[in-house]
Amino acid sequence: MAGVSAIGQALLRWASILGVLALWQGFAEAHVVSAFLLPAFSTVVVRLYHDVVSGDVILGIALTLYRAFAGFALAAVAGIAIGVMIARVPPMRWFFDPLVSIGLPMPKIAFLPVFILWFGVFDASKILMVAFSAVFPVVVSAWAAADGVEHVLLWSALSLGASRAQLLWEIALPSSLPQIFTGLQVAMPIALIVEIISEMAMGGEGLGGSIMTDMRFADSPGVFAGILAIAIVGAGLVRAMELIRRRLLVWHAEASAA
Amino acid sequence: MTATGISFRGVSHTYRPPRGQPVLALQDVSLEVREREFLALLGPSGCGKSTLLYLLGGFLPVETGEITVAAKRVAGPGPDRGIVFQNFALYPWKTVRQNILYGLEKQRLPRAERERRAQELVELVHLRGFENSYPAQLSGGMKQRVAIARTLAVDPAILLMDEPFGALDAQTRALMHEELLAIIRRRPKTVVFVTHDVREAVYLADRVAVMSARPGRIKEIVDTSFAGERGAEIAGTHAFAEKVEHIWGLVRNEAILAQERREP
Amino acid sequence: MKAALTRYSPLLLLAAVWEAAPRLGLIDKDTLPPLSAVLRAWMELLRDGDLAVNGLSSLQNLSAGLALGVVVGVTLGILMAWYRPIEILINPLIRVLYPLPRSALIPVTILWFGLGAASKIAAVFLGCLLPVVIGAFNGARGVEQVLIWSALAAGAKRHQVLWDVVLPAAMPEILAGIRNALALSFILLVAAELLISQRGMGYLISSFGEGGAYDAMFAGVLTVSAVGFFADRLYLLLMRRALRWRA
Repeated sequence: MAGVSAIGQALLRWASILGVLALWQGFAEAHVVSAFLLPAFSTVVVRLYHDVVSGDVILGIALTLYRAFAGFALAAVAGIAIGVMIARVPPMRWFFDPLVSIGLPMPKIAFLPVFILWFGVFDASKILMVAFSAVFPVVVSAWAAADGVEHVLLWSALSLGASRAQLLWEIALPSSLPQIFTGLQVAMPIALIVEIISEMAMGGEGLGGSIMTDMRFADSPGVFAGILAIAIVGAGLVRAMELIRRRLLVWHAEASAA
Repeated sequence: MTATGISFRGVSHTYRPPRGQPVLALQDVSLEVREREFLALLGPSGCGKSTLLYLLGGFLPVETGEITVAAKRVAGPGPDRGIVFQNFALYPWKTVRQNILYGLEKQRLPRAERERRAQELVELVHLRGFENSYPAQLSGGMKQRVAIARTLAVDPAILLMDEPFGALDAQTRALMHEELLAIIRRRPKTVVFVTHDVREAVYLADRVAVMSARPGRIKEIVDTSFAGERGAEIAGTHAFAEKVEHIWGLVRNEAILAQERREP
Repeated sequence: MKAALTRYSPLLLLAAVWEAAPRLGLIDKDTLPPLSAVLRAWMELLRDGDLAVNGLSSLQNLSAGLALGVVVGVTLGILMAWYRPIEILINPLIRVLYPLPRSALIPVTILWFGLGAASKIAAVFLGCLLPVVIGAFNGARGVEQVLIWSALAAGAKRHQVLWDVVLPAAMPEILAGIRNALALSFILLVAAELLISQRGMGYLISSFGEGGAYDAMFAGVLTVSAVGFFADRLYLLLMRRALRWRA
């Protein structure tokens, strides 16, 4: 009984997705809209397959992920360092507090032409643009996490004989990990969004660069195949972050709740 | 059959969680509640006493057996049966006054009449001066007074109370007992009161229906009317202590059973 | 007042460095025009109407896309929570589409709607739809059963419960979702305008950048940043007001 309903649930879950794909295919084949505006789903899949076989998409994914990850890593390291320093060092708080409170809600994307002006249109410029866009949520979450470390945890570690360095590595960091990771999970999609915009604006291949080129050449199957590839990469990244979180935070109550 | 007489006949209820095995929560419950009677449903947690109340309220569908109010089958919620929940269930975005007004608005009463009755209820539950406060600004006891006023506003003939004082501290709870009895003296109603507190049940009710651990059944119905006297008048008497003792004996075994079943 | 001055004093420090560094020759004036030159360029943009025309165009497209996203998103999210068949139909699509970096859709909106306002509105709409849907869905799904029961017992009809109880109870999460959508709408609008357009603040910034009018470019960047920042602050203020019942 339970088995049947589980299969039924899974079918239902896919039914609407398959339905939309069928609708898409049907629309395109019936020429309700022109193939330029909406190429058939099958055309897009075939195109993606060819791009994969030729290696174009693989190279695009590699380039996009390399730059997005590099920017993300920069944002993570700098963000955590700045966040923890803000929480611990009063002059740092004085200096960074207003910058963070303005920088977080500010649309950083407007600085894209500034980054082009300062760093050119190659990898460094894109990576720095990604890092600049993704760093603020990391700072804020690391700051909040470092502020919120329970004093009883630190005191009990001290009374058990921990040194100050051990205090940071063995108590403060693990206990603030859930919150820091939440900031990283916010930063990761931002990194990808901004990396794709940067590629569209600056060129230099990558998934965003190639769909922009395809659009300029009015190659709509190419645009849709590119979006499909980006969707797959995006879904994979989100899923990977969830898995890492679960692995990293086995001890946390949320792990057993999920 | 009187105007607000309630009757449960052969009511069973199976709870089907989204995952896992279905659970038989109530088994073959038959019970009569007389007009203007204060009946307490008493039992260990998980015995289905709240489920019984929700079935009577019409919030859950009656699948097996029959529940009638004034000889009519219960087929859904209605303003003849007002309900007060343990965690108050106030609308947090409405002020005290707006909460009390909500039911009156659904009754399509003229505006002036609505306001007049709302004010009357504010006075009845001693909340004058707090009309424009939000629930989050009130203490637990005050919140429950608002919830009672909101339910009384539509003047239901039957009052359903689901462990209404369970979330309050002991002192507030004692005060609320007095207030509830005073309110019912002024506006007589049929009350079905769910609780797991033996003393509370004996103190407030005319009769106490003791339920067994899961699946919930009526184990015994104990008369606690003390010749029409209630509350503080009888709390210190020997008879009161005896009733509490007797019912406590009934409940104790069931509570132990329920405990064992939850921790296998 | 004085507290705010102390709090924001690092900004004054930065402004002073910005002014001094290019003037002292520490940084090339084309790389970073002095703040005073940027402000002068800003005044000029204000005087000749560039700021008004492009700013207004951006704000119009942003509000149109965001409003559309909020209306459609809240409706969808609440219906999903309230009617199981709608959830079964829509929820899988949302789960599949949610991780898609929304900026990838900008080329499609241009393919579909051309270079004008429609493609910008579509990009903003597509960008902010899902956070609003998810906020409304989670909010409406999390409504306590007893609140709904209380309303039914008071004599409310099912559709009245939706309006009287579910919508206000979901409001905190709806408003939080809209705040995310607001941030996303700025990103998508400015990105779409930077990439391909003939009007708007993003267009203004990128054309000054390409034309080498760096003081005007920085003036545009500062304007967009400031408007985005104040939009968020204003929204936060209104949100707190709307949720003042949460004490």
